[in-house]
Amino acid sequence: METKNLGEKILQTIQEQKIKPKGRWYFLLKNYFIWAIGGLALLAAGAALSVMIYFFRYNDFGMRGEINKSFAEMLILTMPYLWIVCLGIFVFVVYYNLKHTKTGYRYPIWIIITVAIVTSLILGGLFTIAGWGERLDEVLEKRTPMYGEMMNPHINFWSNPGEGRLVGIVSGIATKEEFNLVDKDDKEWVIYISERELKFPLEIGQPIRLLGEKKSEVEFEVNRIMPMTPGRGFFKHMGPGDHPPIMKKNF
Amino acid sequence: MITNLDLEEKTDEELVIIILENQNAFSLVVDRYKDKLLRYIRRISSVSVEESEDMLQNIFIKVYLNLNEFDDSLKFSSWVYRIAHNEVIDNYRKRKSRPQLMDVDIKDSYVKELAGDTNILEELSREELKCEISEAINKLDLKFQEIIILKYIEEKDYQEISDIIKKPLGTVASRMNKAKAELKKVLVHKNFS
Repeated sequence: METKNLGEKILQTIQEQKIKPKGRWYFLLKNYFIWAIGGLALLAAGAALSVMIYFFRYNDFGMRGEINKSFAEMLILTMPYLWIVCLGIFVFVVYYNLKHTKTGYRYPIWIIITVAIVTSLILGGLFTIAGWGERLDEVLEKRTPMYGEMMNPHINFWSNPGEGRLVGIVSGIATKEEFNLVDKDDKEWVIYISERELKFPLEIGQPIRLLGEKKSEVEFEVNRIMPMTPGRGFFKHMGPGDHPPIMKKNF
Repeated sequence: MITNLDLEEKTDEELVIIILENQNAFSLVVDRYKDKLLRYIRRISSVSVEESEDMLQNIFIKVYLNLNEFDDSLKFSSWVYRIAHNEVIDNYRKRKSRPQLMDVDIKDSYVKELAGDTNILEELSREELKCEISEAINKLDLKFQEIIILKYIEEKDYQEISDIIKKPLGTVASRMNKAKAELKKVLVHKNFS
């Protein structure tokens, strides 16, 4: 077929099939959608980073002497791996969407990835200052089953009575030297306070971390009590109905 | 009232605005690009004449359908070639067969430039050289074939190639270097064996 006829055939096809150009709104919407998904992924990356910063702030590196762990061991044990994976996914989504904007292809991969990471870091820092990382972690722990154990390495790290670390929620206060604690697996422990000078305002229903020594399968002798920071939402999601009403007792 | 003569003097970009009001003006775009695109399709794919004409029709229908997507951040010709590039790639994936290049009409100035790296070709006449290069391009990967064709046959600059294949300028430059190196390898191998 000669190209002259071909040109006519193309125009004829367009007219016969009543083909109309897609509306400008379609492309605007598509473009906004790509930017919106990229923006949301960027916010999610910032949020993921702020939760990770929150975990790192309470990593207890200063206690590694008492815990008998090296810096590297503590780092490996308390690294929020799944949050790191999520961050990687969010950064990839940011990259993918930026790359698919109208002129995104003009920029090399390393520039787009750097922009995505630096912007996530800035947002993560701002969210941390606003306290959103902490709040997000608590909300997710309260409302999402399995979140705490899967995403928060502090809970598993502190749930190791054999190595002298126990975490849970105060379920009863018997005497000045003894109280009860329910751990993450709903197991109840009897906690003995070994040092009289140990002062910590205990409340029933309060999530706490303990350093001490396991005495038996249900007994633990404590020599340091600390509040639970990352992970407290996990214990709160056990629900107030599962525990006696909150009462305060200072030792 | 705009006459055909007026339309012919319009730039592609001006024509796009007119086509959105008057469908018939699209015939000018078809006239301006059908020969170039048909040659381009046939240069980088092994399709039959009929199939290349079908592809050309699809390309123009896509151009028409997506006219509102075009903006002046790039040349209209780059945008049209991009649609053609995508069509060829889609077709290549569907067929999953390696495209065979048609005889390419390389300009003499480009023959010299392309052959510049390969001293062994000095003894060949210009026509022999064209033939050698054409056959050698045929042996390259599609991405290398295409970049050489866009640069030396379609005479696109790096910015236009970047807009057509949707890759950054740096990638275009490095791919061009690799394509030339591959071409040299093929030519050297061919002349020594």
